[in-house]
Amino acid sequence: MLNIGELAPAPSRTTQAAADVVEGLDKSWLWMALAVQDIKLRYRGSILGPFWITVSTAVMVGVMGVLYARLFRAEVAVYLPFLTVGLVVWQFVSTVITEGCSTFLAVQGIIHQVRMPFSLHAYRLVYRNLLVLAHNLAIVPIVLVIFGAPLDWRVITVLPAFLLLAVNAVWVSMLFGMVSARFRDVPPIVMSFLQVAFFVTPIFWSPDLLGVWKPLAELNPLFAAIDVVRAPLLGVAPATYSWLVLVMTTMVGGCASFALFARFRSRIAFWV
Amino acid sequence: MAFLRLRDLSVEFSIYQGSSRSLKKALLATSTQGNLARDALDRINVRALNGLNLDIENGDRLALIGPNGAGKSTLLKVLAGIYEPTQGRVMASGKVSAILDASVGLNPDATGRENIILRGMYMDIHPREMRAHADEVAEFTDLGHYLDMPVRTYSAGMMIRLAFAITTCIPPEILVMDEWLTAGDAHFLGKAQQRMAEFVRGSSILVLASHSMELLEQWCNRGIFLDQGRVVAMGGIKDVIAAYKRHIDAPHPPARAAAVS
Repeated sequence: MLNIGELAPAPSRTTQAAADVVEGLDKSWLWMALAVQDIKLRYRGSILGPFWITVSTAVMVGVMGVLYARLFRAEVAVYLPFLTVGLVVWQFVSTVITEGCSTFLAVQGIIHQVRMPFSLHAYRLVYRNLLVLAHNLAIVPIVLVIFGAPLDWRVITVLPAFLLLAVNAVWVSMLFGMVSARFRDVPPIVMSFLQVAFFVTPIFWSPDLLGVWKPLAELNPLFAAIDVVRAPLLGVAPATYSWLVLVMTTMVGGCASFALFARFRSRIAFWV
Repeated sequence: MAFLRLRDLSVEFSIYQGSSRSLKKALLATSTQGNLARDALDRINVRALNGLNLDIENGDRLALIGPNGAGKSTLLKVLAGIYEPTQGRVMASGKVSAILDASVGLNPDATGRENIILRGMYMDIHPREMRAHADEVAEFTDLGHYLDMPVRTYSAGMMIRLAFAITTCIPPEILVMDEWLTAGDAHFLGKAQQRMAEFVRGSSILVLASHSMELLEQWCNRGIFLDQGRVVAMGGIKDVIAAYKRHIDAPHPPARAAAVS
């Protein structure tokens, strides 16, 4: 709790929300440790530990890569790396959105018993999923070495891309977490939306296949999120709007999420 | 110097149930007219605390007394910073630590030893600091080799020993507590009493809610008697307990009548 003197004016909602976001960041030791604990407990008792994630993704990529290369009449050597990176990033994005619906609901016992910055729960969720992503990414260099992707200097742009993905993950888990805590029919709505999104977003097919409709697929922020990571790893330039779409999504989503958080932060404890 | 001050503090919240939990219903309701909207969104508003003024100073041992639903738990949560007041303010100096449910943050799949560190983290104690206390906590629990087993294999009594030992290892500046120490065998209860006394002595302020008058008289020097979110009586612990006993013995409780507005 803040030290507040008798005469000091009460801080505004926006100030308190900003303080929450900063205080959460300041407790990085806490959410990092909790996220590591989450992963450890999830895979306790299995021989491979968290590398089960890696193995299951590898199997999925192997099977789907060969099958869909045949369906789309593409070369496996070209299609499989494309699919691998696409699926790995999609898993991160979709899991953050799914789990984001229970950012606060999943920790209601803690929210009711201990005072913590609310942002901390979002950071924990995002960091946990970044750890899972890191395990999944282990497949990517293997696939790239096997199929010999033509990498150049542009590969370093995956670093700002991951950073933007992480920032987006934070506002998504705050926003979806709040809305789902208040309206309990939101998580199933989001689930069905994600199922459709998986097929509509160019993850396992290329937007080039759409012909004149191509720009429409490229304006999809979910595609942008995948493209900014996938393109540099495959040694090609990202689609025209990908970076712009992702930066815009970050700004608009971040502002909307923060505005809602500033307005309803003090209600979250009553909603969960 | 630690203190907690409440100024004209009210807490009001809506209880959401049934269709008020639904986004679809909420969207449909707002598109219809005023009265209908209120019907479709069957929200119930609760005023749990109503215009509270309270000064808790360094050295105070404050008892919260009142019937069920008087607002004791809500007040504890406001003092702990879990709930924020809808009106008025809380001014605090000092780190507040709440022990409302001792088992919060215990993970059933982690071992007893891991849970010492884990529970410590939820109490805002860095694992580095907690490790220094881990052996002392482990010894106090008397759980022996059970400490290396997952907590889900523990009996209720063992769980309480562990939770109690962890929560009471470092006294906070301001301690906000719900009465919760109930289970355990006689030997452990004796040990626990002693540890509790040291723990409470270590903190500058104690706020304790309980239905046990003996317990409150033993631990506290001041008391407030809450009913329906308002303060009915405030002062020395003996006077407040006397006021509370008069209130529950009275056929028509005066506080209840006064609270109706």
